[in-house]
Amino acid sequence: MQRFLKSGLSPCLAFVFVTSATVPVYADEPHQAAPDTAALALMPSWLTLLSYRPDRLSPGYTSQADDPEFFLSPDGKTSPQAELEATLKAIQAPGGGDDHARCRFPARDRWLREQLDLPLTQVNCPTYDEWRSTLNTETVTLVFAASYLNSPSSMFGHTFLRLDPPNRSEEADLLLASTISYAADAAAHDSELMFAYRGIFGGYPGITTVQPYYEKIRLYSDIENRDLWEYQLNLTPEETSTLMAHAWEIKDHNFDYYFFDENCAYRLLALIDVARPGTHLLDEVNTHAIPSDTVRWVVDHDLVASVRYRPSSATVVQTYLDQLSSEQREHAAALASGDISVDDQRITDLANDEQAQVLDATYEYVRYQTQAEKWPRERSASLSYSLLKARSELGHETPLPQPPEPEVRDDQGHDTFRISALGGQQGSRNFAQLTLRPAYHDLLDPPEGYRSGAQLQFLRLDARLYTDNDELQVEQLTAVEIRSLSIRDQFFSPLSWQVGFGGRRAEIESGKRIFTPYLDGGAGGGWAITDQSQVFAMATADVEIDNDLDKGFDAAPGADFGAFYQGHTLSAKGGLRTKAWLIGGQHREDSVYADASWHIRRDLSLTTGWERRHQFERYETRWQLGLNIYF
Amino acid sequence: MKKLIAGAILLGASSMAFAQPGCGVGAMIWKGQSGAAPHILAATTNGTFGNQTFGMTTGTLGCDTNEAVKSLAMYMDSNIDKIARDMSRGEGENLETLAVLLGVEASDRDAFRQTMQNNFASVFPSSETTSDEAVTAIVAVLESHETLRKYVS
Repeated sequence: MQRFLKSGLSPCLAFVFVTSATVPVYADEPHQAAPDTAALALMPSWLTLLSYRPDRLSPGYTSQADDPEFFLSPDGKTSPQAELEATLKAIQAPGGGDDHARCRFPARDRWLREQLDLPLTQVNCPTYDEWRSTLNTETVTLVFAASYLNSPSSMFGHTFLRLDPPNRSEEADLLLASTISYAADAAAHDSELMFAYRGIFGGYPGITTVQPYYEKIRLYSDIENRDLWEYQLNLTPEETSTLMAHAWEIKDHNFDYYFFDENCAYRLLALIDVARPGTHLLDEVNTHAIPSDTVRWVVDHDLVASVRYRPSSATVVQTYLDQLSSEQREHAAALASGDISVDDQRITDLANDEQAQVLDATYEYVRYQTQAEKWPRERSASLSYSLLKARSELGHETPLPQPPEPEVRDDQGHDTFRISALGGQQGSRNFAQLTLRPAYHDLLDPPEGYRSGAQLQFLRLDARLYTDNDELQVEQLTAVEIRSLSIRDQFFSPLSWQVGFGGRRAEIESGKRIFTPYLDGGAGGGWAITDQSQVFAMATADVEIDNDLDKGFDAAPGADFGAFYQGHTLSAKGGLRTKAWLIGGQHREDSVYADASWHIRRDLSLTTGWERRHQFERYETRWQLGLNIYF
Repeated sequence: MKKLIAGAILLGASSMAFAQPGCGVGAMIWKGQSGAAPHILAATTNGTFGNQTFGMTTGTLGCDTNEAVKSLAMYMDSNIDKIARDMSRGEGENLETLAVLLGVEASDRDAFRQTMQNNFASVFPSSETTSDEAVTAIVAVLESHETLRKYVS
């Protein structure tokens, strides 16, 4: 497990030159006698600038900023009006310099002056002016780091802003552009469990960091193997300037970080809301702000000028290997394993362009394996070097084509909140079932825009109404369920795995179906049949804990063999599952299952499932049929 | 433009672990990573990961070289493996970024790419080459080139 950077990482900036940029001068109009601060303080722009959100239980407002330095009034955290009055006074105070309110809060200053037509003298803010000219931002690009194949929990994605300089004559300039991101500043000594706990319930400060884009590419494309989508926003120069001014205001102040709502994406939405008043992206956030959803909102609010795709290292490796002939693939595998060297006749006999393709693909593969499988330096460095040296001696050859942009972007996939209305039969009892799943994706949802074989569900509730006695029952409450079924082949041997916990109905020997907490997991492998289908084999383990169980709990090793298909109009899976319950009744539980979804539209599927189970010398069949609606 | 880049580079450098003064910090090219970022927590968490430094040693390049070379050195520290890759192929965005940092004009780009590819083995004489050695070698290669000389003088 990686350690997290020790706290105290405030964005540390170095400036290399000084400019004479100044705050613009507005029309020199007379003071208004007594500005209506009460009304001004309730204007959406002011509330957004100070991160005020309405209180849930009372009529007031509270700011999300968790830092007294963010406010000029001692009551600023809870009083928009007091803060506005204090700000109004402070920005009209004589003087200047970095500590002046106008330099600390340039966006507030600008907004108030516009609202009140305040007279304005020039103010000298050396540090702020330097910051602005160093970042030299003309337009802003929202960058979305997509999920990675074998990492369903990365499905939420991550977002940050890239600050694009003017006069971008070529793409290379953008690698050098700066980025702004917002992240939890976790202390290095916290355990993973503490990290998860404090992330969910609060306790980590959120910090803003500025880094060059190439460092982000290093992290997301090369280390985490996540494709990047670049959404260039259509902000005007004025809006971009406001965004930067507000970024300056919040960058050194603490906003507590919460994984689910006040996360990386949330603060970026706030920046955009400030930049373009009336956008109200934050109003879309209710219980959680999944970065991929926030990208949808940004697209829906017509904020995007253009979109660009940057494949990750993993995507590039896969694409390169896929393009090799089977003979070239054999050579690449032999080179990577060290069975042959670059001057082996089997390599040198190839035509120059074929040689170049093998060497390029092998190099990408070796780098990927070094990163992902932690090949030691002794193995990878000399091999990497010999590949590049041989490649350089071939001279110019047309490179293998880069991965194509996917037809459906991540933000164009199905929406993540799913409601299902079903009817079916459990044994001889008929039921109607309602399923609520706030997030995110399962194997039978429309696959476009999601990684194949990946499944992540949060807080899913299955409630049943049995029609024979009108009994309402919770069938299952899934706290978290993650499945990652990935493909093994000649080059890659990823582990397929799954883990889940929550509460579910389980049948005991008496035939009663009790509701029991459970924890289950599994590991195994998956193999491709076609591009859209694979078979998998998993060893599984289940634990259930309940007073109604013989010893209060039960545990079962087991196995799950199946296959699935994820297509544009139809997704299906089926298989055999067996569990050997060891503690209580000591019995086998065997089942055969099949499920399918017909994707009528991207937001609507017809879904069906069937299972026949054998345990306690009884057979029972369950089936259901219904609709999945996504929004 | 050059100043902008220098700014961007230093900005990045200072937010990374290597805020020491000096130009190149001598990153190894193909140092094995000390661990992939934790996929389990990757997305939902977005913690700041502190482990993305790349086997830095303390060797430094003389810093009285011009601003472009200084920027180049910083960029090399972070991207040396990708620059080596692009150089071996004579093309790629990291090689273009090198050219941008050095201010190589469009009309000289082909010569730049080809020179870099042809001189791969002198820029990277072994798998133990560090980023500051590579920067020094790049400067030397360009200095001995008739038309590219002007970019490093």
